[in-house]
Amino acid sequence: MRARSIRAAGGAAAAVALAVAASACSAPGDGGGSGGAKDSAVVGIAYEPDTLSPLLGYGKDGNSKIFDGLLTHDADMKLKPALAAELPEVTDDGKTYTYKLRQGVKFSDGKPFTAKDVVFTYETILDKKTNNASKTELDAVKSVEAKGDDTVVFRLKYPYAPFAERTVLPIAPEHVAGKQDVNNGSFTTKPIGTGPYELVKWSKGEKLSFKANPDYWGGAPKVKNFTMAIIKDDDIRATRLDAGELDGAILPPNLAKKYKNDGDKKTYTAKTFDYRVVTLPTGNKVTGDTAVRRALDVGVDREAMVDSILDGAGKEAYGPVPTDSPWFTRGTERKFDAAKAEKILDDAGWKPGKDGVREKDGVRAAFPLWYLSGDKLRQEHALAYASDAKKIGIKVEVQSGTWEVIQPRMPKDAVLAGGGSPADPDFDQYTLLKSSLAGDGFNNMAHYDNKKVDEALEDARRSGDHAERKAAYDTIQRELAKDPGYTFLTHIDHLYVVDKRFGDLTTQTEPHDHGLASGPWWNVEDWQPKK
Amino acid sequence: MARLAGRRALFAVPVLLVVTFGVFAIAAASPFDPVKAYAGTAGLTASQENLDQLRANLGVDKPLAARWWDWLTSALTGDLGDSSVLRQPVADVIGERVGWSVLLAATAFLVAILLGTTLGVLAARRPGGWLDRAVTSLAYTLEAAPPFWLGLLAVWLFALKLGVLPSGGLTDTASSTVTAGQVASHLVLPAGVLAVSQLPWFVLYVRQGVGDALGDDPVRGARARGLAERTVLLGHALRSGMLPVLTLIGSRVPELITGALLVETVFSWPGIAAATVQAATAVDFSLLAALTALATAAVLLGNLVADLLYGLADPRVGFDG
Amino acid sequence: MADTKDLVWRAKGGVRRSTRAWRVRTSAVLVAAVVLAVLVVPPLVNLDEQAVDLGMKLHPPSLSHPFGTDDVGRDLLLRCVYGLRVSLLVGVVAAVVATVIGTAVGALAAASGGWVDRIVMRLVDVFSSVPHLLLGIFIVAMFRPGVWPVVVSVALTHWLSTARIVRAEVLSLRSRPYVDAAISGGASRLRVAVRHLLPGVLPQAGLAAVLMVPHAIWHESALSFLGLGLPTHQASLGTLVQSARGSLLAGDWWPTLFPGVFIIVPTLAIAGLAGAWRERINPRRRSELML
Repeated sequence: MRARSIRAAGGAAAAVALAVAASACSAPGDGGGSGGAKDSAVVGIAYEPDTLSPLLGYGKDGNSKIFDGLLTHDADMKLKPALAAELPEVTDDGKTYTYKLRQGVKFSDGKPFTAKDVVFTYETILDKKTNNASKTELDAVKSVEAKGDDTVVFRLKYPYAPFAERTVLPIAPEHVAGKQDVNNGSFTTKPIGTGPYELVKWSKGEKLSFKANPDYWGGAPKVKNFTMAIIKDDDIRATRLDAGELDGAILPPNLAKKYKNDGDKKTYTAKTFDYRVVTLPTGNKVTGDTAVRRALDVGVDREAMVDSILDGAGKEAYGPVPTDSPWFTRGTERKFDAAKAEKILDDAGWKPGKDGVREKDGVRAAFPLWYLSGDKLRQEHALAYASDAKKIGIKVEVQSGTWEVIQPRMPKDAVLAGGGSPADPDFDQYTLLKSSLAGDGFNNMAHYDNKKVDEALEDARRSGDHAERKAAYDTIQRELAKDPGYTFLTHIDHLYVVDKRFGDLTTQTEPHDHGLASGPWWNVEDWQPKK
Repeated sequence: MARLAGRRALFAVPVLLVVTFGVFAIAAASPFDPVKAYAGTAGLTASQENLDQLRANLGVDKPLAARWWDWLTSALTGDLGDSSVLRQPVADVIGERVGWSVLLAATAFLVAILLGTTLGVLAARRPGGWLDRAVTSLAYTLEAAPPFWLGLLAVWLFALKLGVLPSGGLTDTASSTVTAGQVASHLVLPAGVLAVSQLPWFVLYVRQGVGDALGDDPVRGARARGLAERTVLLGHALRSGMLPVLTLIGSRVPELITGALLVETVFSWPGIAAATVQAATAVDFSLLAALTALATAAVLLGNLVADLLYGLADPRVGFDG
Repeated sequence: MADTKDLVWRAKGGVRRSTRAWRVRTSAVLVAAVVLAVLVVPPLVNLDEQAVDLGMKLHPPSLSHPFGTDDVGRDLLLRCVYGLRVSLLVGVVAAVVATVIGTAVGALAAASGGWVDRIVMRLVDVFSSVPHLLLGIFIVAMFRPGVWPVVVSVALTHWLSTARIVRAEVLSLRSRPYVDAAISGGASRLRVAVRHLLPGVLPQAGLAAVLMVPHAIWHESALSFLGLGLPTHQASLGTLVQSARGSLLAGDWWPTLFPGVFIIVPTLAIAGLAGAWRERINPRRRSELML
């Protein structure tokens, strides 16, 4: 009896196992595509878009796969025509931009692309009722007008020098998107565009599958099936790359380094404008003090952070502009000098208290520093910052939380933040430093308030003259060195590991937001997989 | 037996009612705002008007009992709400994942039973001997070791150092079809670790049961009659020693679920337990509530199985086999 | 899972007396070492356990760093001691809270009898049907990461067995002749409770509390490992294993290995010691090993 029970129990369990294996025909969370095939690629990314509608902000910086902009960037971040036939003609002291459109382009549903689609796209984005968070990027636009089927004219409120850079944003088809609710319509998840790829399926939280658009005006892509697996956890992404489920992935430096000598995989290092920064809120008695700000600015060892947190994959940051950018102001580098930092604090009256923490007028030199929980890179930056600060007598209490927890505290507490946009210095500096944007969402988180900087930001965005703009951004960088309301720590390189069968790939200079547009797959439509 | 099953099923109804209500009560007491969770980062910049609308749409402005009742009635029609983190209906999430969890747990359970019985019998054969001491020490250590730690060490050894087994996931390549061979090779490590984490319980219980049985009269009688040690051990001691173990197997379900939670996370096994962790990280209430109810149901089912097995193996029915 | 109660019950069968004495002594020494380490070392070294030393990143175990260093150059031996301290603190507080709840509920049920007893014990049965870790995860998820949600979550999931034990003990004590005599002799309820019931219940509750500590540590580390427990920059045995995961995938084993050892050793030591205690206060349980 009992022996029979044992066998029966075993048999039942085995039967269950078999039944399960037989009945389960789809795997949740699998990468999709058909890996190994020469015309397929599956890559692992960390971010997922909220929407696929360009009207709501999808692909606004280009490389959207499904769509094209009027212009696009090449590998060196130079503008080149896409849906426009040539670069725009700028007249009227930089206030009128005229685009001639490419002829014969069709949306993937077969309908032709015309000037009306361009006007529709821009006007819809600027419409108050459209929930587009980056609407202010088109703040300069006064009107968009179609002249015939093949010409579009933009008129600006003021001469906005980097305007052409904004016209990489994808064009949506009026005949589809115009007929539905812009914020919640089906177009937001089932987009139709003119781009090199068509969306096959968006399994939210899991993957985006694309197939090549055989009629693409730029030529049909060689990689026929392209899948982006969305894997937020770095360790899991690395595991799945190891397991061969992915052909490529973005990885943090410590996980990327073991592929350095891998025979099958190649590591790509993308230069970026992606900085990690500590906000020093003006509203806090400690972080609002210029002496404290300057002491922290010279008292943190950026080199050590680059060497060990980033494993050398990055650069020391002294401002939003990376040191190797032409916009960088030579001479604004601040050398690590703890003794100088202590002297600044001593001179300003911050005297060491009993427990080693400095005090001034009964205020202890201590403040909380928040990082996004689960973000290891920010955590390590925050801990290193706190350790360096402690050595000069400033107590930084590291805390972690989600954005819901952190955001209400931003006016008083320091935050380990990130940002950066390569296309034009105006794009990130204006929102980061402009005093009138203080506390507006994630704009100007430190409530930085500097008149000279405010003026220079306006001058730089309105002037069409490169030398004048450079001078204005030089002013900003020098002011930031004098009153560092943000402690810039590092510019981090983005590391990608990709299977060698796709040949030699390139990377662009990347922004902070490394979603779909970044990585060696920025131009997957041009990849030439080896046989 | 049918009456027992019926009674158990009747007991399950109030249990599930109380547990789900408890889940709703905890959520109501927490500072967590489902509206903000639903809106995600977009909610940070959304207008108050927008958030209020969302609040009404989600029905979270209703009182606790009403929300629980709404959830319960729609759950009975198969609608468990939408998972905000996996962005698909909760029923679909559970449907496509539960099979993989059952496969993992069943395999591990089977391995643990077989291996545990073998080791337990070996240890019981000579209590206090070196084999007994080695096996029991190992069992205690493994019982104290967290499964996630064992899992990580297994990944390091078998996937990274030796390179013999895949470190996680369900299939090898990103193929959209799942083949049995791939699943099998990916199953080895997670099922092995889960089995090892369940192993000590079986080893120690079997050792105890068989050891006690060896001291019992029937076994001593058999020995006195000069039966071979093998026959005594396997024919008599194992049988009566296994009885209590068998009847308690059903009660191992909670431990199995706990172990699976951790093991699935370590190996990114696409099962129910991994979804639980994702749901918790993202405060995905509808998914968490459904999963808690499901786990409770599984535990109750395990208890029922234990009782049924006990009834089947009742000494009065056939102690001498 | 580390079901310490099972562990203790079974630890006793078939082991010779000398071995058992040796085991108890070893356990006692280990428990003493653990307590000493977490109480004495932190104030003695007076170091900031969060302080990083970027130049010392991921050094393997050596004489100056017996456990090696982690990926931001912190000494792992120190981190493990601090982590053990946090985990032990969480474990002890949670165990005490759980024991208080369990004792109160168990005593209430036994003292009231009747429908209160039935309802309370039914509720205990109901909540025993939810896997502990799952309920713990749910509570922590709803109340965000931090020390207190973890303590509350562990305490709220662990009082059930204590309630049962205490209830059984009170019921058995109440049926003793001398308690009956005291009640019929006109002693006040309070006096009976304090003089006769409390001395019997306290050791049981105390034992339950001690046995719960490793359990609670185990739960804390599991929650933290899943990223739902303590914040990742705060050292606890769970967060240490969790943050070592990246290093392990890169091939460095030591940040993962040692925190795990720090979970296992105190668990075994406490179980060993509690086993001896249980045998002293509950000799009759020996024959009930299998129940």
